[in-house]
Amino acid sequence: MPESKTLDQQDTIPFYPDHASTEIKVMVAMTVIAVIIGVIGLLDPVGLGPPADPMDTPAHVKPEWYFLALYQLLKYIPKTAGVIIPIVLLGLIMFWPFLDRKPDASRRPQRVRFAVIAAGMLILIALTIWGEVS
Amino acid sequence: MTILRRHRRLLSLAAMLLAAAILLLAATSSGEANPPDAEAMPPPDSTEDFTRSALLRREIAPAERSGPAVVIPPKPERDPCLHCHIGGEDKGLWTPLARWTLFGGLGLVFAFGVYRSASAWITRTPWKPLTLRTAEWVDERYDISGPLSKALSKPVPRFALRWWYCLGGITAFLFVMQAATGIMLAFYYKPTPEAAYTSIQFIESEVRFGAAVRAIHHWAANGMILMCTAHMLRVFIMGAYKKPRELNWISGVFLLVITLVFGFTGYLLAWDQRAFWATTVGTEIAGSIPIIGDLALVFLRVGWDVAALTLSRFYGLHVIVLPIATLAFMGAHFLMIRRLGIAKPL
Repeated sequence: MPESKTLDQQDTIPFYPDHASTEIKVMVAMTVIAVIIGVIGLLDPVGLGPPADPMDTPAHVKPEWYFLALYQLLKYIPKTAGVIIPIVLLGLIMFWPFLDRKPDASRRPQRVRFAVIAAGMLILIALTIWGEVS
Repeated sequence: MTILRRHRRLLSLAAMLLAAAILLLAATSSGEANPPDAEAMPPPDSTEDFTRSALLRREIAPAERSGPAVVIPPKPERDPCLHCHIGGEDKGLWTPLARWTLFGGLGLVFAFGVYRSASAWITRTPWKPLTLRTAEWVDERYDISGPLSKALSKPVPRFALRWWYCLGGITAFLFVMQAATGIMLAFYYKPTPEAAYTSIQFIESEVRFGAAVRAIHHWAANGMILMCTAHMLRVFIMGAYKKPRELNWISGVFLLVITLVFGFTGYLLAWDQRAFWATTVGTEIAGSIPIIGDLALVFLRVGWDVAALTLSRFYGLHVIVLPIATLAFMGAHFLMIRRLGIAKPL
C-alpha cells in the first residue's frame, strides 16, 4: 500500500475551523461571482433565439459547446460509428480503475497519463473550435 | 457545545450566507416588476392600437405574423406588486426598498432586543444567549454535539491544501446554486410548446431579478460542466482512482454523465429554434445506436417527433429525475471520500 492509514498530527490541519473557513471563503467568492453574473444578466439578459418552428429547418444546427466535438466528428464518420465511439469510450473510462490496477510506484505513470490527457484534450478542443467556426 | 461557542463568528457567517440565499429567494418570488407603460413602446403604426390590452382583445391570427404566435402574457387583474403601488400611486422600486430597509432594520433591532432579554429570562446568572440555550436544550435530548464534533474534528491532510483539490467542491457548490436558481425559474416556467417561450420572455422582462436568476443558471451550468471535467482530469492524472477508490471513480463518471444530460435536457426548455433543432439532431443521434436506437429515440421524444410530450419529458427529467439521481450519487461520492480520506499523492 503506498499510503499509510493514519496520518501524523503534523501533516494535518483540523477540518474545523481551519479548513472550513477556507471553504466558506471559496463559497463567498463564488457567490460574489454569481452576483456579478446576475447584475450583468439584468443589464444584458441571456435572451432567446427565434421561437421554435417545426416547419422551418435552419441552415446550421449546432449543439451546446460541450457536444460540439462529437457533432464535428459525426460530420466525417458514419453515424453508427459516431455513436458507438463515445459509448465505448465512456465504458472504458467507467471501468478504467479495473484495467489499470498497479499502484503508482514513481512519477512516471503520472506523467504518461498527463501526456495522454493533454493530447486527448487538445484533440477535443481542436474539434470543438473547428465545430464552432465551421 | 464548546465548538458552537468557540466558533460563533464562522457559524454566523454561514448563517448569513443562508439568510442571503433565503432573502434572494423571497425577493425573486415575491413579485413581478412594474407593469410596463404603453408609452414606453410607441406603436410602429399609429393607426392601429398596439397597447397591451388592445393586443389581448385582438384575435391573434398566426398567419399574419412572420413566426409562430408570440402571445403577450395577459395583464393581471390585481396588482402583482403591492409594494410598488402605495396609495394607488406607482412608487417604482426605490421607495418600497427604502421602506423595507428602514422598517426591516428597526424590526431587526427589536428582534435583537427580544433575543437579548429572553436570553436572561429564566436564570439571570450566568448569562447565556438564547441560541446557545436552544442548542443545549436540543443537545440534551438528541446528543447532536457528540457526532457533530467527531465529524468536524476529522483532520485534513496538508497535501490537500492545494487549489486543484477544490475543483470537486466547486462543482458541488455550483450544483447547489443550480438547484436554488432552478427552483426560482420553475416557479414561472411553463413546460408546454405554447407557453414555454413566452414564459421565459416573462421571466426575463417582468419577474423581478428574473433575468439575473436566468443568467446565473445559464452560466453556472456551463461552469459546472467545466469544473466537473477539470476535477475528473485531476483525479485521473494523479491516479486517485486506484484501489481502494474504484467505486468513487465510477460514481464520479455517473455524475459527469448526469451533468451532461442535465445540459442536454435543459437546453430544450427554452423552446427556441436553436433548442428545438439541436434536440431534434441530438435525439436522432441517440436513435442511431444499433439495436436499441429506436427504443432510445421513442423514449426521449415520446413518439417519433419532437413535440409537446418531448418537452414535458425533458422538463420532468431536468427538474425531478436528474436532481434526485445527482443527490444519490453525490451522497455516495461524499460518503466514500469521507470513509477513505483524500488520496495521497506521490
